[in-house]
Amino acid sequence: LLPLLLLLLPAAHGEVKHVQYTPFLTKTPVLEGLTTGSTFVLEQPRCIFKDYSNADIWLVVALQKSSFNNSVAPGTAESAFQNFPDSVPAYMTLNATLANYPCPEHDGNITVLRVGSETSCIRDDARPTCNGPLPGPGPYLVKFLALKDSEPVAETDWSQPIMLRTAKSPNSISTTDEGHSAGMIALTTILSILFAILLAGLVAMLVFWGSDACGGSSTFSKPEAVTVRRYNTHHVYDQPAARL
Amino acid sequence: MAKSEDCIPILQGLLVFGNVIIGMCGIALTAECIYFVSDPHGLYPLLEATENDGIYAAAWIGIFVGFALFALSILGIIGIIKSNRTLLLVYIILMLITFAFEMASCITAATHRDFLTPNLFLKQMLERYQKAEPANNNDQWMTEGVTKTWDKLMLQNHCCGVLGPSDWQEYTSAFRLTHYDADFPWPRKCCAMDAQGLPVNLDGCKLGVPGYYNSNGCYDAISGPVNTHAWGVAWFGFAILCWTFCVLLGTMFYWSGIEY
Repeated sequence: LLPLLLLLLPAAHGEVKHVQYTPFLTKTPVLEGLTTGSTFVLEQPRCIFKDYSNADIWLVVALQKSSFNNSVAPGTAESAFQNFPDSVPAYMTLNATLANYPCPEHDGNITVLRVGSETSCIRDDARPTCNGPLPGPGPYLVKFLALKDSEPVAETDWSQPIMLRTAKSPNSISTTDEGHSAGMIALTTILSILFAILLAGLVAMLVFWGSDACGGSSTFSKPEAVTVRRYNTHHVYDQPAARL
Repeated sequence: MAKSEDCIPILQGLLVFGNVIIGMCGIALTAECIYFVSDPHGLYPLLEATENDGIYAAAWIGIFVGFALFALSILGIIGIIKSNRTLLLVYIILMLITFAFEMASCITAATHRDFLTPNLFLKQMLERYQKAEPANNNDQWMTEGVTKTWDKLMLQNHCCGVLGPSDWQEYTSAFRLTHYDADFPWPRKCCAMDAQGLPVNLDGCKLGVPGYYNSNGCYDAISGPVNTHAWGVAWFGFAILCWTFCVLLGTMFYWSGIEY
């Protein structure tokens, strides 16, 4: 029905007011996940659309500035997330009203929009306004578009190009070219020298086994046992021969 | 002659004292190595999966060397008091063998410690954490060990990844193959948890809001215990060996002077 309506009123829509605001990635607080492989975090457009209290504010995500036409309606195949980027150059998502972006800004809470957080509707064609994960590293351009009765009435500037993170393969991590620490080299050297000296000492010990090379035989000797043989000096056995 | 007779008890006393110290150090080495082998920090699965568990081999050798040192020191004391050449020769040869084994243990511990760099753990974590399809039983065993150890590490030490949560963003991983980047920029265990073990604020964790996720890397929690283990085995063993070297030299000198 909506595309039909737009076809019947080709040039009848009014002027689209240009709001001086450039969407940007959240600056405070510093977020670790500001850009990931498939999501990024935008600051909410608070106090921007204050003149458009009953308009729907949509986020437009595109790969190129020139490719998006404001007359494309949200919730149709021409702006469906599921068809991005193969058959449509941009998609529209994150529908909100002024009530979602109240003034004053920063009332103590974190006011962010996480683009790419819905994973349940990635392939669900019944949900063309899915806030699905972005399919590549980008660079992406976003702007906010306010629609009243399906007619665009206001838009912001296009943002600066937003690049997402690309992940490298873990095979690129090198684990082999680390040197040896000084401690290990010192330890190995000293122990080898000590062991060599001990082996040399053992060889010297065994080669000089029994010789008196060190210290003399009397250095650690036990007390000597002196035995005296008794000599029988009297020739008593010759006398019986003399009696005969 | 009088001078050398005074020297005998002094040298004997010194050698007996040296052997007593060796015996006590042997027991201490055994106790220390048993402590390390028991893996109080639960890091063994990580080392087993890197196939770089040399520091554990060094600790096992240390257990038996410590025991041998204790037994040999008793033999040495008996040999010195009796001035028996045979006993002392056996003592010296067995001590040299024990010296060689302990030397191997020290060098192994020091060398393998040098292999355990942050890159090694990073690569292993990315390739094995929550890997979905293991190739064989051994692979599955290692994958389970790595996953459980990392979960425990990240929970207990309030850390994420090896260098930080950005490890999961900078590199593709086995984890990334089964978990959408939008739902899991990093594993759930990196989120700040409440008492029930659930994330305090899941959206805050996914966004990376300070306070709702663990922003530190776990490398310090891994390298601390591993360093203590490796240096404890290597340098204590080195100290024991230096002392043993002196005692053995003294014993060799004593042996060569005994009358046979």
